[in-house]
Amino acid sequence: MTPDVKQDALFEHYSSIPHFYDELLDLDGKPRPNWQTFFQSFSKLDNDEIINRNQDMLRLLKENGVTYNIYDDPAGLNRPWKLDLIPFLINKEEWQKIESGLTQRAHLLDLILKDIYGSQELIKLGLLPMELVYNHAGFLRQCRGIKQPGKRNLIFYAADIGRSADGRIWIVNDRTQAPSGSGYALENRMAMARILPEFFNGLKVRRLSTYFNALRNALSEIAPAKNPNPRIVILTPGPSNETYFEHSYLASFLGYTLVQGNDLMVKDNYVWLKTLSGLEKVDVIWRRVDDVYCDPLELREDSQLGVPGLLQVLRSGNVSIANPLGSSVLENPGLMPFLNNIAKHLLGEELIMPTIASWWCGQPEQMDYVLENIQSLVIKKIYKDSTPSTSVDGNALSAKQITELKEQIKAHSSLYVGQEKINFSSTPSLINGRIEPRNALFRSFLVSHNGGYIAMTGGLTRTTADLGNFVISNQLGGISKDTWIISPEPGRTLNVRKELERNYAGAHSGALPSHTAENLFWVGRYTERMLGNARFLRTVMQFIAEGNNLLADNTDTQSEQNLLMSLTHFTTTYPGFTDDDDEKFENPWKELRDVLFNGNRMGSLSYNLAVFKRAVYAVRDHWSTDTWRVLRSIEEEWVLMASAAHTGHHRMLSALDNLITSTVAFIGLNRESISREQGWVMLDTGRKMEQSLLLITMLLSTLVKKHDDQTEYDLQESVLVSNESLVNYRYKYRAHIQLPLVLDLMLLDPNNPRSLVYQLDRLKAYLSQLPKSQPGHTLAEHERLILEAYTLLKLADKDELAKPDNETSRYENLHRFLTNMNTVLLAIPGAVSKIYFKHAETQKQLFSAGVTI
Amino acid sequence: MLYKVIHTTTYTYFEPVSLCHNIGRLIPRSFDTQVCRKSIVTISPLPDVKDEYEDFFGNQVMYFAIQQEHKKLTVTVSSEIEKITREDPEINLYHDVSWEDVKELARQSTPAWLEVHQYIPETIFTAATPEIKAYARQSFKPGVAMFDATHNLMQRIYQDFEFKPGFTTISTPLSEVMKARKGVCQDFAHLAIACVRSLGLPARYVSGYLETLPPPGKQKLAGADASHAWFSVYIPYRGWVDFDPTNNQIPGSQHLTACWGRDYGDIAPLKGVIINSGPHKLSVSVDVKRMS
Repeated sequence: MTPDVKQDALFEHYSSIPHFYDELLDLDGKPRPNWQTFFQSFSKLDNDEIINRNQDMLRLLKENGVTYNIYDDPAGLNRPWKLDLIPFLINKEEWQKIESGLTQRAHLLDLILKDIYGSQELIKLGLLPMELVYNHAGFLRQCRGIKQPGKRNLIFYAADIGRSADGRIWIVNDRTQAPSGSGYALENRMAMARILPEFFNGLKVRRLSTYFNALRNALSEIAPAKNPNPRIVILTPGPSNETYFEHSYLASFLGYTLVQGNDLMVKDNYVWLKTLSGLEKVDVIWRRVDDVYCDPLELREDSQLGVPGLLQVLRSGNVSIANPLGSSVLENPGLMPFLNNIAKHLLGEELIMPTIASWWCGQPEQMDYVLENIQSLVIKKIYKDSTPSTSVDGNALSAKQITELKEQIKAHSSLYVGQEKINFSSTPSLINGRIEPRNALFRSFLVSHNGGYIAMTGGLTRTTADLGNFVISNQLGGISKDTWIISPEPGRTLNVRKELERNYAGAHSGALPSHTAENLFWVGRYTERMLGNARFLRTVMQFIAEGNNLLADNTDTQSEQNLLMSLTHFTTTYPGFTDDDDEKFENPWKELRDVLFNGNRMGSLSYNLAVFKRAVYAVRDHWSTDTWRVLRSIEEEWVLMASAAHTGHHRMLSALDNLITSTVAFIGLNRESISREQGWVMLDTGRKMEQSLLLITMLLSTLVKKHDDQTEYDLQESVLVSNESLVNYRYKYRAHIQLPLVLDLMLLDPNNPRSLVYQLDRLKAYLSQLPKSQPGHTLAEHERLILEAYTLLKLADKDELAKPDNETSRYENLHRFLTNMNTVLLAIPGAVSKIYFKHAETQKQLFSAGVTI
Repeated sequence: MLYKVIHTTTYTYFEPVSLCHNIGRLIPRSFDTQVCRKSIVTISPLPDVKDEYEDFFGNQVMYFAIQQEHKKLTVTVSSEIEKITREDPEINLYHDVSWEDVKELARQSTPAWLEVHQYIPETIFTAATPEIKAYARQSFKPGVAMFDATHNLMQRIYQDFEFKPGFTTISTPLSEVMKARKGVCQDFAHLAIACVRSLGLPARYVSGYLETLPPPGKQKLAGADASHAWFSVYIPYRGWVDFDPTNNQIPGSQHLTACWGRDYGDIAPLKGVIINSGPHKLSVSVDVKRMS
């Protein structure tokens, strides 16, 4: 086959859509030059290879944990990111125009921002209607007069750009608060370069690194007092935010600390990061939290995402924030009709790139126009709020809805804007292995640089999910594209590698934020909880499966029943096997399957897996790519097993085997890849804590009650098996299994890595490694507790513990010992939390609402 | 007339608080009919960080933080306020301005009107429901003078609503106040403001104090006064004119202004954030004394 024929087959499903600009084909139906080059490389891969690469791409993105969270998504958080193999191309001439248009726009918006929060000349001169500013929810009166170092107030700017049918490029939206997407753009490029390196052949695609270098400088430059090595943090709303992946991705890429509001505190008029070793001063906050949520003292009082007192520190000039608080006032479609005049006034020039024709209803004639033409316009509110009508297509409304909207507009005219509808251009996309046209919207990113602005030479293109569906939204399942600016790299780019080295050399060694520390501690605990439960479940299930094969006699049944009851206690899945339901004992598999796979049941393995996953995602910047791969396979295999309707015993057992193996691999990888020492200590502290508590629970539920010899033997053996200590036992004692020796091995033997003393040894070492909060020789609460537990254990005597009480038919000494031990150990997490997990402190509002006359 | 106002706010915590941040708007303003001669702020325990600045509306704001463990916080502001009686020079002129004229004049964008203009849009505290709009219309009938319409509105609120402490909190929406016809001074001020703004007219919220007189023959009790709130509308040729719907009065020399803003949310006397989960107790006492 010749490439030409192939190419024809390739475009079998591609045809220009009438009334749209076609990115691929010119008016004669021929591919435009850059696309021609691109498809020459593309067509060198045959159909199967394209499918393979597409699968590789999906896998890579999944393994790297690239996700976009959908609010209220029934499938749960963390939807995988979708990336089209075919990029969006922009040629050199066009880019030059876009670049100059965007730079001008950023410059202009910066000046408007300064004016709004400064002398308000634009309002006084009548160039900017007061209502557009004062009625906008993003106009924060508390922020007037706050100044930061640096020539520009607006540090980040992003714009959504689309091309209309006549080929002109328009700015559709301005993003001035906390623009998202630059991290996804970067990840898209990395994935493309890895999976499809040959596509870049013959095309000079501009790199993205210049933007990120400029971004580093921009953030460093706004640091107060010209600190040469400022501490920069990224403030995120947390793991449930839709773009959390990007926050953690950028944090690891740029070497900044990722924090949530409660990781920070205000003291002595500075902002501090709470770390395991104490407070560290923060110089610059790159926020991904909306401005009204940033300070519950002066802004939204119900916010749990902010830092109380932050505004006062900003006012004092002791910390800087990008973008400045209050900058969302510029995310305002009502500004559009006024921008050209403002540009003429402030810059002495016209807008290079046009804005979409817009009519602000605050002016009577404009409102009349909007009311008359409502069906051919998009109606937007000047700011986003929780009402569904922030942006609606007039044409999609019913007669009743139109009447209602008109009433709304008349009642609050200054809040509404009518905008011309634009049919975004169509661009080739790979859909189910075929090339089809889809409508595209491109987001470009700018950052302040040397007193001006620099645009990312690339960006994030998103296409509609379906052809002709013009709402482009990740929330609605759109697909993203890498964006290629085809142009030779200009000579002015810096030596990237050198610069990166310099920046990394100055990076903070990074004490662990206390929030991260706590999350790692819980990852450790949940890992072991999952592992412990899986192992015990496996032991019990194996026992039952074998028993059934051997046509069990009575004692076996008794052992079986006791094991099943222990299982319920151990996993705390009550009532389970504790409710004397004979049917459950006769056919335990139904209940066992439920304990494995019922994710809605607390204590089930699926439930524990979900909790584990949540903890893992909360500290996602700590896992290596290999670790992600393991995490993905844990998740995927488990989902696969759980969805098999009638899972047989063997399938269930093999699901457990896989889970156990992968979890062990996860632990092993962490040991190697978590570089920060304190991080590993916290994770392992959590593991040892959980292992100790699980062991005690298991012994309490299996060995305390006295049974006949055979049952006791079976139970003791099960304890050894599910703690992987049977081989060890046989090797060490070369004797029949008996209680004193089992207790010796599981509690007191320092050489058995499964014994309690082994765990406590490590715990004691870890806890003494934690930074001291008080000078002097007094033991901290957690040190005292671990010493008490350790002493209790060291003073224990295996023969004493193994003495039965014939009156109660229980091993009372053992019971007392384990209960005491449990109480002491359970107090340790609380004591650690009080000193080291300071973010856990709750904030509360005070009001003096005592107006009584 | 010279007054001394002592406003004391005390928070008592069940468990020690190790960090608190606070914002106070307790220092009385000075303007044409009032001069705040001095204002002494005493905070116990002594704050570790303190700052004072002017807010967007020109009120004096104080910020303070206490970084040592404490179980009690006391903020006392002691102010000397002089009231000046203002002659009414163009009484006939401003009495003639209809509310529709005010609405029309408010379209101008001269700096003076811009300052006034910001008090027209409704806020969360002053959102007007259809019932509130209808209630407003009964006073703001076509062609009625701005002053007369507002005065009538004030009288109607005084007659139609029962003053009932404890029925509402600061988060009770106006719609509920409207339905129950009960509330306290801040509810009545918010209601009046919502009415005036629903017609596209400027109104602002005023916080302050009121001198109360003891029953004849009785000694006045210290701390028996309270902080108070009323509203103000803008009338061309006259400026801002205060109205007190709680007492059915045009505030004069007995009303001492502390701060003004669009609503309570802009000028809460004292608010703060503490790091603590335990309960706390609040007590406020106000003492207004006539010095001469």
